[in-house]
Amino acid sequence: MSINVIRAHAEQQFAEELSVLAKHDEKPRPPNWKLSPWAVQTYLLGGEVGGLKIVPKYIGQKRLVEIAVATLATDRALLLLGVPGTAKSWVSEHLSAAISGDSTLLVQGTAGTSEESMRYGWNYAQLLAHGPSLNALVASPLMRAMREGRIARVEELTRIPADVQDTLITMLSEKTLPIPELDAEVQATKGFNVIATANDRDKGVNDLSSALKRRFNTVVLPLPDSIDEEVEIVRSRVASISKTLELPAEPPALAEIRRLVTIFRELRSGQTEDGKSKLKSPSASLSTAEAISVINQGLSLAAHFGDGSMRAADLAAGLCGAVIKDPVQDRLVWQEYLETVVKERDGWKDLYRVCRELL
Amino acid sequence: MAEQVHIFGIRHHGPGSARSLLRALETLQPDCILVEGPPDAQEVIQFAIHEEMKPPVAILVYRPDVPKDAVYYPFAEFSPEWQAIRFGLTAGIPVRFIDLPQAIRLAEEKKAEDTSEAAPATPESKSLEEPPPEMTVRQDPLRWIAEAAGYSDSERWWEHQFEEREDANEAFAAVLELMTALRAEAEKEQPSNPLEIAREAHMRQMIRAAQKEGFARIAVVVGAWHAPALAVMPAAKHDADILKGRDKVKVAATWVPWTHGRLSFWTGYGAGIESPGYYEELWRTQKPGERGLRWLTRVAHLMRSEQLEGSTASIIEAVRLADTLAAIRGRPVPGLVEFNEAARSVFCFGDDLPLRLIERLLIVGERLGEVPDATPMVPLQSDLRREQKRLRLPPEADERMLELDLRKPNDLDRSRLLHRLAMLGIAWGKAAHAAGKGTFKEAWRLRWEPEFEVKLIESAVWGNSVSGAASGKAIAASLEGGLPELSALVEKALLADLPDALDAVMHALNERAAVSSDTGLLMDALPPLANVSRYGNVRQSDTALISTVMDGLIARICVGVSAACASLGEDAATEMKGRIESTDAAIQLVQNESHLADWTSALARLTTLPNIHGLVTGRATRLLFDDGKLPAEEVARHLSLALSRANNPVEAAAWIEGFLSGSGMLLLHQNALWSLIDNWLASLTGEHFQEMLPLLRRTFGAFQRPERVQLLERAKAGAGAVTSQSASAGDESVNVERARLVLPTVACILGIERTTL
Repeated sequence: MSINVIRAHAEQQFAEELSVLAKHDEKPRPPNWKLSPWAVQTYLLGGEVGGLKIVPKYIGQKRLVEIAVATLATDRALLLLGVPGTAKSWVSEHLSAAISGDSTLLVQGTAGTSEESMRYGWNYAQLLAHGPSLNALVASPLMRAMREGRIARVEELTRIPADVQDTLITMLSEKTLPIPELDAEVQATKGFNVIATANDRDKGVNDLSSALKRRFNTVVLPLPDSIDEEVEIVRSRVASISKTLELPAEPPALAEIRRLVTIFRELRSGQTEDGKSKLKSPSASLSTAEAISVINQGLSLAAHFGDGSMRAADLAAGLCGAVIKDPVQDRLVWQEYLETVVKERDGWKDLYRVCRELL
Repeated sequence: MAEQVHIFGIRHHGPGSARSLLRALETLQPDCILVEGPPDAQEVIQFAIHEEMKPPVAILVYRPDVPKDAVYYPFAEFSPEWQAIRFGLTAGIPVRFIDLPQAIRLAEEKKAEDTSEAAPATPESKSLEEPPPEMTVRQDPLRWIAEAAGYSDSERWWEHQFEEREDANEAFAAVLELMTALRAEAEKEQPSNPLEIAREAHMRQMIRAAQKEGFARIAVVVGAWHAPALAVMPAAKHDADILKGRDKVKVAATWVPWTHGRLSFWTGYGAGIESPGYYEELWRTQKPGERGLRWLTRVAHLMRSEQLEGSTASIIEAVRLADTLAAIRGRPVPGLVEFNEAARSVFCFGDDLPLRLIERLLIVGERLGEVPDATPMVPLQSDLRREQKRLRLPPEADERMLELDLRKPNDLDRSRLLHRLAMLGIAWGKAAHAAGKGTFKEAWRLRWEPEFEVKLIESAVWGNSVSGAASGKAIAASLEGGLPELSALVEKALLADLPDALDAVMHALNERAAVSSDTGLLMDALPPLANVSRYGNVRQSDTALISTVMDGLIARICVGVSAACASLGEDAATEMKGRIESTDAAIQLVQNESHLADWTSALARLTTLPNIHGLVTGRATRLLFDDGKLPAEEVARHLSLALSRANNPVEAAAWIEGFLSGSGMLLLHQNALWSLIDNWLASLTGEHFQEMLPLLRRTFGAFQRPERVQLLERAKAGAGAVTSQSASAGDESVNVERARLVLPTVACILGIERTTL
């Protein structure tokens, strides 16, 4: 593994955990799985195995992970639904890293995703030189996953055009991918499965056909239940990201994170945490993932331009940027929130002042 | 002794317990079965095997003299007690209830109530589950064990250990041992309460009695908690001493239909199981392997019937997911939690909403039991059953809408039945809003509650048929109520078609009206009667009598109203204003020429008499004006009179409130009125104006927003005269010196350089 990559794959970053888990894993493993379902669950939810502390990857309801793992064990495809920033891709990456030891078989869904990237394409030089053959075929990550019996990931499934989405149906129900040009097919070996993620905020992008929907078990990942849970998520992720980014700043004060998470939760839910006053919600989705990136930004500001420890001023720029996505509407919402909530709150004066300056 | 007496500690409403119990009884072949239950119900026990008996049902034990002191013992098909009773009765061996009789328990409760009146009332009904004191003292003893086994709650633990297991031959011995240990612990913490001691003593005495009679194999079916207390028998005298000298009251027992909802946890006072529908499925499916298959197939059928996705392929996937989930969680077979999660993932696409449907329709599985006609019933109950059959209106536990067309005889009878029951306080049907036009439509929301049976028994004192009892109750009420209550009663009696009661109530009303010196009460009594006379022809009931009474009422009101309005205070005047309005509406509704004429002249008198509060006079003027009985010029004259300078401005403001309340349109369209009020306002001194402002605001603030806007426009347009007046009054009063002091601050606010001043 190269030291210089910005972000290592899950299986690289947590290689040690995975190997310890595999060593101590005595439960039966489904064919071609690197770990047993129980070990996969421990990997995601954290625990202690063979003296090594397994870091929790998903902080939230245990039963969601159980359902997800059980789904994959029954060789049904898994669809992770949720609003943006609820760790859908994160969970899917770690699931495939734990199950197949490889999280790289990825199809990123966009409006321009073509059938070639779902099935296979052709290497035209080969095709012209030698005619159609398996050698001229460029396999898609899905096709490779079928051959090798691994987990393939499809990100943002609903952004893919409907006709392209439906190529998944044969793969999921027949477990085969026909190649009519060669009169051949690729049959999935055991261990193959698909984890798709989709965003249920962007309704109506390209809704799944009911034929495809039926091939997935759906797990909805919710926004964190409590403020403590969310603070913990932000804290642990920020710590691990700043390690990879080699930020010299001190680890962020929990108080700062709590403040940020409170702001996000309040704006998201449209009322203050004490439930006493109503607020307007901005158009931004203000997910946990965004909170993490605001903190990171604050940390790097503090490291490079400040005194190394993150203060309100370092946080403010990222915060305003995260909240104000629409320059007119959101600015009003934010201003209102500053004046009615932030200003009045004990010990939040510093934040109020720096945010006011930025507006 | 162990050879002779076999104790089976069960969990109330536990299907697994029921199954193990049945199997154990088959092996044992007892010659006598003793069941934890009220001995007071011994005579009705044989109905349990009647072929028309369909659980869920409950034994109702009540005091015939005070029927609301009642206790329910609910049974579902999967209740072990129910299965034990049926087993015994089918085999033709004696089945006995052995708990402490309710005759004694209710007597003691009564005594307790009598001695401490201030104490909160004891709960009206209890279930077969452990009585409340135990629950609070012992705080769920099974929790200790469940927590030790790593479960979050005892219910779940018990379910997995006993209810969902297929082979439970050893279960009873294990339960006995477990409970013995638990009770020893609990005893250390806090000794048993007297009621529990007495109950167990009585159970032991009953066992002794059975032994004495020479039964060889006695099966004792009790809640697991009591099992250890019965396994070890103290000396008979010990128990006899405990039970000595207890009072009794007279009680009666019968069977009543029960509902699954009542059994379930969330209606509060049920027997405390969360998922009766699921338990029923557990009971019916003998093979645990098939349970998931059958349950999820039922889920799929439900989804389909609600036009949601639920294909056979989905069932297969859901079953597989539930099985795998159970495996991951280290459980031998999937339970309800796993089924729900599988259903959510596969059928509901992660959505919670359809899951709630499953919860309501399958997991609770609302159902109303049935009891045979031969069950002992008070005649009123049987009459209601006959009526329900005749009108094809069976009681159902699920809420449903019923729309009646009162022109059809059957629907009319149904409506009458529902109204009669409502008269008895049995709210089987609640009035709902009928869609569509016409007074012949009537909509009801129907939902039968098991407590209605008790209400029926209570109502038996009024009569033996539904109509008789309703009449009886109405007649009794007519002897007491005041005028307004009586007239409301008339409306109810008419809706329920109770001619006897109607007669009695009308006579009472007439008498009460004749001697009443309070015109206000007469006025309150009128509107319901007016409503009734409008409904009369739809319901084909005779309203002649009502017209007579109403004539009398209106005549008395017209005579008495001016006296009733004299010298009223602020609050009384507000009340009277409301009454005048509703009386006016009622008289308009009836549309009888002579009444209208009388009323008009009464109102006209109100406008001219002195000593009448401005609110009332103003309102009377307005009503006359609205009816076209008073020309605009005349109204202007009244207004100007009321607003004359000589009058107290407060009184004038009240007049305006009475006159204008409701709508300000009048002011917009009647120039004369507008300028009168405008001039009056302008003529007020500052002090007076301040005094008036809240009163005026109250009047004008109640107008619709567009009206207020229009009024403002109008006031602006004609503002010239008014402002010039006030300006001329103010010129001299400006103190230039003092005003100068403010200027620097103003300049600062406006951002003007001070030097320019």
